[in-house]
Amino acid sequence: MRDRAEDLALASPGILLLAFAFILPIAEMLRLSIVGHDGGTTFEHFTRFLTDPYYLGIVWRTIYLSIIITLFCAIVGFPLAYVMARATPSLRLWLIVLIILPLMTSVVVRTFGWMVLLGRGGLIPFTLWKIGFVGRNFTLMQTEAAIVIGMVQVLLPFTTLSILGVVMKIDRRLEEASRTMGASFLATLRTVVLPLAMPGILAGSLLAFTLSVSSFVTPSLLGGVRLPVIAGSIYESATKTLEWNFAAAQSVILLVGVLLALTPYIKLSGRRHG
Amino acid sequence: MVKGVPNVLRAVTWLFVAVTLIFVLAPLIVVAGVSVSESQFIAFPPTGFTFRWFFAIFESSAYLGALGTSLKLAVLVTITATVIGAGAAIAINRRRLPGSGVLAGLFLSPLILPSIIFAIGLLMLWSATVGPVSFSALWLGHTVIALPYVIRTTLAVLTDSDPFLEEAARTMGAGRWQRIRHVVLPQCAPGLAAGAFFAFNISFDEAVIALFLRTPDLVTLPIQIYNQLEFSPDPTVAAVSTLMMGLTILLIAVIDRLLGIQRFVGN
Repeated sequence: MRDRAEDLALASPGILLLAFAFILPIAEMLRLSIVGHDGGTTFEHFTRFLTDPYYLGIVWRTIYLSIIITLFCAIVGFPLAYVMARATPSLRLWLIVLIILPLMTSVVVRTFGWMVLLGRGGLIPFTLWKIGFVGRNFTLMQTEAAIVIGMVQVLLPFTTLSILGVVMKIDRRLEEASRTMGASFLATLRTVVLPLAMPGILAGSLLAFTLSVSSFVTPSLLGGVRLPVIAGSIYESATKTLEWNFAAAQSVILLVGVLLALTPYIKLSGRRHG
Repeated sequence: MVKGVPNVLRAVTWLFVAVTLIFVLAPLIVVAGVSVSESQFIAFPPTGFTFRWFFAIFESSAYLGALGTSLKLAVLVTITATVIGAGAAIAINRRRLPGSGVLAGLFLSPLILPSIIFAIGLLMLWSATVGPVSFSALWLGHTVIALPYVIRTTLAVLTDSDPFLEEAARTMGAGRWQRIRHVVLPQCAPGLAAGAFFAFNISFDEAVIALFLRTPDLVTLPIQIYNQLEFSPDPTVAAVSTLMMGLTILLIAVIDRLLGIQRFVGN
């Protein structure tokens, strides 16, 4: 009993911090989302958001861009994770460091790099112009392509490391058995490795999707005001037009979407640890 | 006889890995390139070589102010997150509290909940209960998101450590506090240290909470960069960004020394 008291004392600063600085803020956001202009309870902010074609357009853009970004991350992340898993330990360490370096670099800095690369006269438009694909003043900034390129770079390390954790646990002897039985390398990859890695690929993709739909810095700097996503719209309402209740309602809608995507993620990663 | 991987496939694989790495590292390389370019304008590839944009940072009161704010914030966040996280990780690892599984999930949840949702909630709650946002609000917010990293790295070393050492200390007559100080904390040390460096990095690089809680007097370095990018980027932005990347590389090296970076794969 006294042991329990000791453990509770050890954990209590953390519990208090999360209760007051994490759970309560989210509760306050939920509460404000249903407070109307007159102070009464209302769903007017939700109806306003969900009936206005402008906002529905934002939701649609956020979702389909996130799906494209997630697909890219999974399609590139799986083979990359497989190569990393089967590389020699020292090479693997280097690859992990090279993947973690951008992951731990501020998203503002990384987005700045893309602004230089994608903007007018930047390396990528310049190369495309030299090849003859586009006109001289072509820029990729403020396009959906820019958002996708920037976001894939931001989220690929997450997805890759998440898949790598699962691929590392696959018994190599299964692949050897498959090869001994006459399956080619690619057939083994498709029929043995891919199915076993699927929980990791799904978990990594769901994580990438939730981070993508809620990302703010990269889409707002690369896409600009013409291509708002939901996080940008929340930021507008909260800090520019100062409609906090409306901002809260949009956050609730985003939260519901994120929770829907996270439920299978938690199940998948729970099974992995269990 | 099993044939190895065909040579063509091998070549394609390495090409793929090389292209992917270039893609992932490209923005970092570009920023570093711009920071040493002599051109007044932001352009890549760089022309010439100069460190003058780095010197220019130290003449800009906006950058120096933001740097000061960021450093102070990151240090304070590191301290609070490490102290709070140490206690929480030890308690979770012992699994004696009822519902310790739920507790572990709760402590790690700031990791998966998008920070924009948390940021807006914190802004609203702080304004409703305390008043205008201040440095303390940002400190609190960053501590919440840094906490899971400390708990995770500490749990990683604790699960590998011998739980009977503490039992042995108890049998030998060590008191509660002595056991924690002389047995449990030394066991946690590498994880706590790695977690502390993670916490520093999280706070120093974070932009979303800092953006929602910004005031004219409360601008961190990433937000100062963000402001510049929105309006008038010049090569000093690249120089500041390069310094931030240098710090990140340093922190990764330290974390790898302490704990081995491979431990964080798959979480």
